Amino acid sequence: MKSIGASFRRFRRKPAFTGFILFLVVLLLNIIVQGWSQCLSKGFSVGNALAFFQPTSLNSIFMSNMPFILVTIGQALLLLVGQMDVSIGVQIALVNVVCIMVPQQTGCPTWVGWLVGFAAAFAISALAGVCCSVLRLPSLLATYAMTFLIQGINVLIMAVPQGVVPRAYWKPYQSTVYGLFENPPSFLKFLDYIPVAALVLIAVLLIWHFFSRRPFGKHIYAVGTNQRNAFAAGINPVSTQMKAFLIKGFFVGVAGICLTLMSASGNPLQCEEYGIKSLSAAIIGGMGWGGWGSISCGVFGGGFLVLIQNAVYYFFTLLSKLFNGFAVTSYWHNFVSDIIIFGGLLMTLVTAREQRKTLQQGLKSQFKRGEKNVK
Amino acid sequence: MLDMRGIHKRFGAVVALNDASLSVNKGEILALAGSNGSGKSTMIKVLAGLVAPNSGKIYFDGKEVAIHSGTDSVKEGIATAFQDLSLIPTMSVQDNILLGCEPKKNGFVDEKKARAIVLDLLEKFHIDCDPDDYVQTLMPSTQSMLEVAKAVYRKPKILLLDEVTASLHYDEIETLFGIMRELKAEGVSMIYVTHRMNEIFQICDTITIMRSSNTVISGKVSDFSLDDIVYYMTGARPQHSDTVAEKVEDFADRELVVDVKDLAISPKVKDISMKAYKGEIVGIGGLEGQGQSEVIRAILGAVKPEGGSIEYLGKKTKFKAPADGVKAGIGFISGERNVEAMFPIRPISENIFAGNSAKKSMFKFLTSKEVRKFSQDAVDKYNIKIGKLKDPASSLSGGNQQKLVVARWIAMKPNLLLLDDPTKGVDIHSRQEIHDIIRDCAANGMTVIISASDTEELMNISERIYVFYEGKVAAMLAGAEKTEEHLVSAMMGINDNLKEELAE
Repeated sequence: MKSIGASFRRFRRKPAFTGFILFLVVLLLNIIVQGWSQCLSKGFSVGNALAFFQPTSLNSIFMSNMPFILVTIGQALLLLVGQMDVSIGVQIALVNVVCIMVPQQTGCPTWVGWLVGFAAAFAISALAGVCCSVLRLPSLLATYAMTFLIQGINVLIMAVPQGVVPRAYWKPYQSTVYGLFENPPSFLKFLDYIPVAALVLIAVLLIWHFFSRRPFGKHIYAVGTNQRNAFAAGINPVSTQMKAFLIKGFFVGVAGICLTLMSASGNPLQCEEYGIKSLSAAIIGGMGWGGWGSISCGVFGGGFLVLIQNAVYYFFTLLSKLFNGFAVTSYWHNFVSDIIIFGGLLMTLVTAREQRKTLQQGLKSQFKRGEKNVK
Repeated sequence: MLDMRGIHKRFGAVVALNDASLSVNKGEILALAGSNGSGKSTMIKVLAGLVAPNSGKIYFDGKEVAIHSGTDSVKEGIATAFQDLSLIPTMSVQDNILLGCEPKKNGFVDEKKARAIVLDLLEKFHIDCDPDDYVQTLMPSTQSMLEVAKAVYRKPKILLLDEVTASLHYDEIETLFGIMRELKAEGVSMIYVTHRMNEIFQICDTITIMRSSNTVISGKVSDFSLDDIVYYMTGARPQHSDTVAEKVEDFADRELVVDVKDLAISPKVKDISMKAYKGEIVGIGGLEGQGQSEVIRAILGAVKPEGGSIEYLGKKTKFKAPADGVKAGIGFISGERNVEAMFPIRPISENIFAGNSAKKSMFKFLTSKEVRKFSQDAVDKYNIKIGKLKDPASSLSGGNQQKLVVARWIAMKPNLLLLDDPTKGVDIHSRQEIHDIIRDCAANGMTVIISASDTEELMNISERIYVFYEGKVAAMLAGAEKTEEHLVSAMMGINDNLKEELAE
């Protein structure tokens, strides 16, 4: 019991704590609103009250938001090394159009298109890395400019939204693990609660875990906080930042393929807003500007934004059921969810103060020790 | 074992190292001594790979080596504990100590081994903290100890320690010296930079003394007396006097302008009391970083003191920001022109007028003619050599830039002028002119408090000198007491206690 308390206290000091709490709150909100709405239309039952956990509901949340969550993870990694990339949204659109157009134009198999898509993600991330860390351009401006460059490339490759993905590819992504089987035995029914898209997230996190346990996982913090000190410790700041950009390129590649499978078609001008949205999600998740935070901040922050939008949608459905004739345009959905997101950003100030308080307490106890030893 | 020969380093026009050299043998502790700006820290930075020398050679075990980066330095077996610390505040104690040299297993960080190493080091250094604590939550002395622990962990052949004891407590210094003796027995060489004379005699075997970018002398510590060391560092034999009591009877009829009592600002200022009277030039002396700039900024209102009080014109000051100080008639000139006083890409005229505009009310109309006239007057009066008033301030030479800043403030006719090392990097001619301007102002009733790292300058310009040592006033020199010998002795913290300690 004592160790649980201690590990909770340790977790409270971690940067991801803010994001985790916000995520939990909005998750609870989502469960309540969605359950309530379901009960009103279909009558009360435990199953309806927990409508959020229905396989179809879980699956659609994971499936349609995986690109955004992956992008937020990539953004969090860049924030750690003291960089950012606001063109990350159009980068996944680039992967999307490449994945569609390469097989369509050359007749090669779909997976070859994916490989080329990955290559494009790496190449564009390397270019962003060279601009931001080798040439030391301010990352906000450089990657903002790259947004237009990449959108131009996207339109060159694919002039108008078009294309198809073979059913054999998108069907598995859009289903649950249970749905992957032809004639599944019924004792595997619990697998229906695990969307395939969730497996993608787990796989990506495992791959990140692999990097984070290497010295690189420590060096990113040093480079993000103070390049001079990192340099003095024998770390190469530029190569560390470049590595971060390339790993982000991998995340972008996966996100782009998820996007392709989700929409099963191509659109050269989508997801631009993901650039700024993923930044704010990462900050809500507890990231600081450089050297403060972790990848879990990205996961929680991304999850927060996704669930807010979901919860607000069900909130308005609920209202329309409670009050007959209540109807609003989807602008109102955005308005409410944006207000809540703004509130979330303000919350980070409060929790930052909480962290400062623990910091001060630590300082005080240290000073007491110091006085004791003064002779 | 290590031999540095003929090291030259220039930063722009400023010469930081001029034909400097040093050598250290295996298992030897070398004291690197020198007064302000003598180039000690630059030598350390050259070895650490943070500063690339313009010329000169470094030999390691008789072989010439090139150190271009931190990585090179680590590769040669050099580890450095920096004066301004190289810890990453947002990382844990463990990650900081191991940073860049993590114990590895199959390419992954071996967390188990890492924890064992760190606990061992914390135990050895008597550091009381958790390996998972964030460094930013630790107090300065603990951070300094961690900085040394981090360097020692690298198992260096040569350990560089740059003023690491400055913020340490008594017991921590004892621990540190114990560890240094252990390392010495293991054959580790150390270069130890300090301004504390007693530490040189306590722990060091050999000494290299630097003065104005040059190596003056090297030898065994036992061959030097305290006076010798100070002489080689400053060019003056120290002469200690016990009379540090304030002799201010002469000023009884003058108006008290600034009265600082028991000022404390952590970490550098511990207990400072000083007075300044109307029309007086008060000097603040001491080695670099003894709290001089903090005190000056506290008077201006830029730094909040933790203890003590500052009275200005008989009233306790409640400045929330420097702007309040300026409104109350205080001027401030900094040696860090580019950081604190200049707007390099703005025109010269605006630069001169800048202080004045802070005094005006926000909505008052300001014509460019007014600005031009004001600045032209200042340029003529103080003999600033400029092209056109419209040229950017960065087009001026260092000396003229500083004259511009001085002119800006004096044109506002402040009651009190604070100068923090104003002639840093200024040529001798401009320096003279600035001194003349300051003397002129004092004669007209302005009170001047000037801190200077150059002892000669301080002797020349100030009527009374407060000498700071480790955040306290070591001496107040005035009248016949104001000699270079006394100044030097107080700067080095030489007092009866120290002499007794060394005699033992």
